[in-house]
Amino acid sequence: MIEKSAEIMVNVENLNVKFGDKQVVHNVSFQVKSGEIIGLFGISGAGKTTIIRVLTCQLNKKNWNGNVKVTDLNPAQSKNHPKILSNIGYVPQLEGLNLYYELSPMTNVEIFASTYGLKKKNAKEIAKELFSILDIPEDTWKKRLKKLSGGEKKRVSVAIGLIHQPKILFLDEPTTGVDAAKRYEVLSYLKKLNRKLGTTMFLITHDMEAALICDKSAILRDGKLLEFDSNDNLIASLPSGGLLTRLTIEDLTENKIKIIKNFTPVQKTIRVGNEIIEVFIEDFEENLQKLIEYTIKNNLKVTSMSKDNATFRRYFQIRIQEEEEKERTLRESVQIMEGEA
Amino acid sequence: MDENNHNTSSIDTYEGGFLKLKIRLFRLVKQIKKEFQLLKTDKVNLFIALALPPLIIWMFASMSSAGASEIIPVKCTVVSYDSEVYVNQDNYTITTFWDNFTERYLDAVEKSKYLDLVDFYDASEEKYAMETARDDLRDSKIGIIIEIPVEFSEFLSTGLPGIIECIPDSSEIFYIQEKLNAVEDSIDLFVEDNNLDPQFVRMEYDEYSVPSDYNFRFNYSMIILFSFMIFGISTVLTILVVVQEKPIPRLLLTPAKKHEILLSKYITYLIILALQVFLILSTALLNGLYVAGSLFDIFLALFILGLTGVSLGMFISTVSKTKTEANQLFFAAFIVIVLLSGIFVPIESMPEYLQIVAFILPLSHGKPMINGILSKGKSVFCFDFFALLILSIAFILLSFLVIKRKRYEV
Repeated sequence: MIEKSAEIMVNVENLNVKFGDKQVVHNVSFQVKSGEIIGLFGISGAGKTTIIRVLTCQLNKKNWNGNVKVTDLNPAQSKNHPKILSNIGYVPQLEGLNLYYELSPMTNVEIFASTYGLKKKNAKEIAKELFSILDIPEDTWKKRLKKLSGGEKKRVSVAIGLIHQPKILFLDEPTTGVDAAKRYEVLSYLKKLNRKLGTTMFLITHDMEAALICDKSAILRDGKLLEFDSNDNLIASLPSGGLLTRLTIEDLTENKIKIIKNFTPVQKTIRVGNEIIEVFIEDFEENLQKLIEYTIKNNLKVTSMSKDNATFRRYFQIRIQEEEEKERTLRESVQIMEGEA
Repeated sequence: MDENNHNTSSIDTYEGGFLKLKIRLFRLVKQIKKEFQLLKTDKVNLFIALALPPLIIWMFASMSSAGASEIIPVKCTVVSYDSEVYVNQDNYTITTFWDNFTERYLDAVEKSKYLDLVDFYDASEEKYAMETARDDLRDSKIGIIIEIPVEFSEFLSTGLPGIIECIPDSSEIFYIQEKLNAVEDSIDLFVEDNNLDPQFVRMEYDEYSVPSDYNFRFNYSMIILFSFMIFGISTVLTILVVVQEKPIPRLLLTPAKKHEILLSKYITYLIILALQVFLILSTALLNGLYVAGSLFDIFLALFILGLTGVSLGMFISTVSKTKTEANQLFFAAFIVIVLLSGIFVPIESMPEYLQIVAFILPLSHGKPMINGILSKGKSVFCFDFFALLILSIAFILLSFLVIKRKRYEV
């Protein structure tokens, strides 16, 4: 594994993006070190793609402000664009935007390599190495791309993003459109590439499973950066360090959930299925037994119970839920104040 | 019981069938409504479907009716070899003066609404009268030379049948008869005004026609076919090259620049164009194409016409947002270009505003340039060549300007 140095690859300070009167990114700041894999998570409209557009020199300077450096270069200055674009790679969500389907994978790679001034021979050598890391079968290298499977196309697309050996690789929804079994395969390839080449990676995604390979995750909502930390730290910030109990309760209703919430040591609950609820309690070991007694006392029929550690998906859900509750409370208070006035 | 059941089921079937039909109709109406809603969002398509056809008919009608109501006279030059004086060969002292029928014929030419007398040369006074007239014919300044032969006045004065010789520009087959008819009208007026014997001989000598040992029909068709084929194919070939290339936004996330991408396309398609012109010209030559001018000139002429097509195609491709839009724009532009090319109605007979439009369209310059080289042996470096060059440069600059301003986002 490549030792992650302290070199700062991306530095974003107080980034604000506006389109007309609408502010789409609010005061976002984060720092990414060399070799890290960063996951940008958020629901649609969270501002993930907009931030990436700033970092990849796609957004006009008149639309944004803030102190941004990509490989120590400021994308606000157009003279820096060629250098920044040479330092970064990009893998779009749809392969069609990255690949010439009528040409072979090798020719595709050569086309993109030539834009960085790479000679055909060099490009071929790098491509061969990337293709073998990504397990793209040799017999497909000279076939027309349209004859390749979806997964193979995706991997060729990743290879194109890496052909000039960039310092940073941006991947837009790398697992979208890939079936469940292949999703893990794509993620493991990315991790493998990160390990072998030491490339800093940005994953823009809705897929919470992608967090498995991320060193740090950024959670965005409505253009605001809610969290930016390692997954372990984020999960550890949950009550009992992310330890939870999963209860299956017969005929689970909102009322029954309310009863559980009323038990004082319960800090958070989250419904994860028709009859399943996950409960976070303080002093987990001490209070678990008390919770069982409480459910019996309140005639809640618990049919099964298990202990587990929270996943990143759960952390994301809780964090977004918290934010929504905060907003709801704020809205209600404003309405009350307006009513009183 | 059975009967009852049978009756009930047939009512059900009837009701069911009626209901089904009603649902189907409802579905169909909703689908039609959806189609209209989609059409409404595609303004260009709607324009092509509804506004363009009446516009074309209106344009065609106005250019045709202008030609029909206003006679566009054929420009002519009269060269006279006539002599009013007859000198007896045996005895030089005897001189006879005849009536000046040349002057009277000139009056008839001026009177004819089908002829426009540009010049008159008396060959006995001007040594190079016919050469000058032929130069004007070659440069398309006039459409016909009317030649009055020696002893014209003498023949008519002595009651012999008159002879008028004419040399029409025969490079455009459709207009030869029109020119001869105009001369015929002047002869009729001349005969009528001078109470002459109606026996009158009109002799014609075609100039710039296809030589008799060449395929007449093929060669006359090729002038039009060349223009349409080179311009049409080169435009069609390029209208989608920018708009359908999906990875362009991704390419722009490399150090590659927009203008480099467009320039590479221009260079590629100009190489293809050169090859295309070479193949078309070779095939035409193998099939008996008559080229009065040089092969280099005709190659260059076809290439410059193709360049205008390529640059127009690229412009359409850069300005369009979708493939459909590019196809629609091409269709609309091509119809107008063809209609105003002078093939259907001569440009001179169109209303003035349409003449101005025709002047800035490529085929209006392409056809006369190709005709000049193939039939008259003219040089490629004529006004039409430079007009096409300027048009191409304009479209090229516009396409670069459009792509520079176009926003591409991955």
